[in-house]
Amino acid sequence: MNKRYYLLAGIMIILGMVLALLPEKNYYKQIKPVELLAEINDPARYVTTDQVAQKIIDQDPSIVLVDVRSEKENQEFSLPGALNIPMAELLNTEYTDMLDPATQDIIFFSNSDIYAEQAWIVAARYGFTNIYIMKGGLNCWVETIMKPVPPPSTASNCEIDLYEFRRGACTYFGGGNTIVQADDSKAKPLVVKRRNKKSVAAGGC
Amino acid sequence: MGPLVSQGIIDPAWNNVLALLIGFAFGYILEATGFSSSRKLAGVFYGYDFVVLRTFMTAVMVAMVGLMFFDYFGWIDLSMIYILPTFVSSAVIGGVIMGLGFVVGGFCPGTSLCGAVIGKIDAMVFTAGIFIGIFIFSEAFPFFENIYYANDLGAVKINEFFGISAGMFTLIFVVMAIAAFYVTYLIRKKVKDVVY
Repeated sequence: MNKRYYLLAGIMIILGMVLALLPEKNYYKQIKPVELLAEINDPARYVTTDQVAQKIIDQDPSIVLVDVRSEKENQEFSLPGALNIPMAELLNTEYTDMLDPATQDIIFFSNSDIYAEQAWIVAARYGFTNIYIMKGGLNCWVETIMKPVPPPSTASNCEIDLYEFRRGACTYFGGGNTIVQADDSKAKPLVVKRRNKKSVAAGGC
Repeated sequence: MGPLVSQGIIDPAWNNVLALLIGFAFGYILEATGFSSSRKLAGVFYGYDFVVLRTFMTAVMVAMVGLMFFDYFGWIDLSMIYILPTFVSSAVIGGVIMGLGFVVGGFCPGTSLCGAVIGKIDAMVFTAGIFIGIFIFSEAFPFFENIYYANDLGAVKINEFFGISAGMFTLIFVVMAIAAFYVTYLIRKKVKDVVY
């Protein structure tokens, strides 16, 4: 047999061995554009300020509120118990480790919807599930919870009940005619429980 | 020309032109390798000529190793490649029919066209047979439909099916191919030369 055949066969076997030894490539599994669009059109990803207020009052452990504004804005005013993860840090593992999409509903909020929407899309592409947006953001929060407007006397029972709830919530959150500024001397720093890091795939990026 | 056309790098109008050029090249190489001879093709079953096996195994092996390295260097994204779904029943039945046709007629669909255009009468008959077969299958498709779609495994990769890494499967395949080349070389030495 021609010696060239031995040479070529040897080269192929060596290349095959190299391939067998190379680390398995981990393809980044991201959401498909079609699914993302379908989810964006799903109104179920919004929660109202009233629902958020109710959950905070109930001290519901299954939610985690995420303020995606800057740290400075967060210190000026935020929701009680909210984590501050600025948009730029959203994919930083230091921050994402605080979130556990498997057991918690993550609710993003900012001053209005825009940054929260952006954060939602980034998180959705990153593969997070159970993520929501507080509809209207903090502006809506102030309008509805902190300064509830009494409904007209002709309003339905439903609206009056909602107003009653908002007034109660307003008292709970210390609202009223003045917006309470976060008092640094009293405010306890939020203790963040980090979940155990999942085992990171060896090698790769 | 998959990604180049759909990404707009090549205008879609060139699709047919490129297909024609690739077809010319493919036909030329088949003819130049001697694949338009039914005796050479059938030789693989009778043990006097293994060019078919060697050519195709080499092509698969080189393409496989090349794609794996391209993927590793990031020149191509293997996860984006479309994988045809596997229908086990139709694959087995189709394989048997194809194999029988191959050993009886001495051609596979591509090589029969190659033989027909250089004026081989058996290849022309074979080509006519292909079209008759296509016609019968198309007309009677509702009758075959259940078998055709039976045992759908989806887009399964052989290495995933066996639970090994793609690189390991490549190595196993390369070793098997080279072993096959050597075994066929030994068989070829024992079988009397056939002149055709």
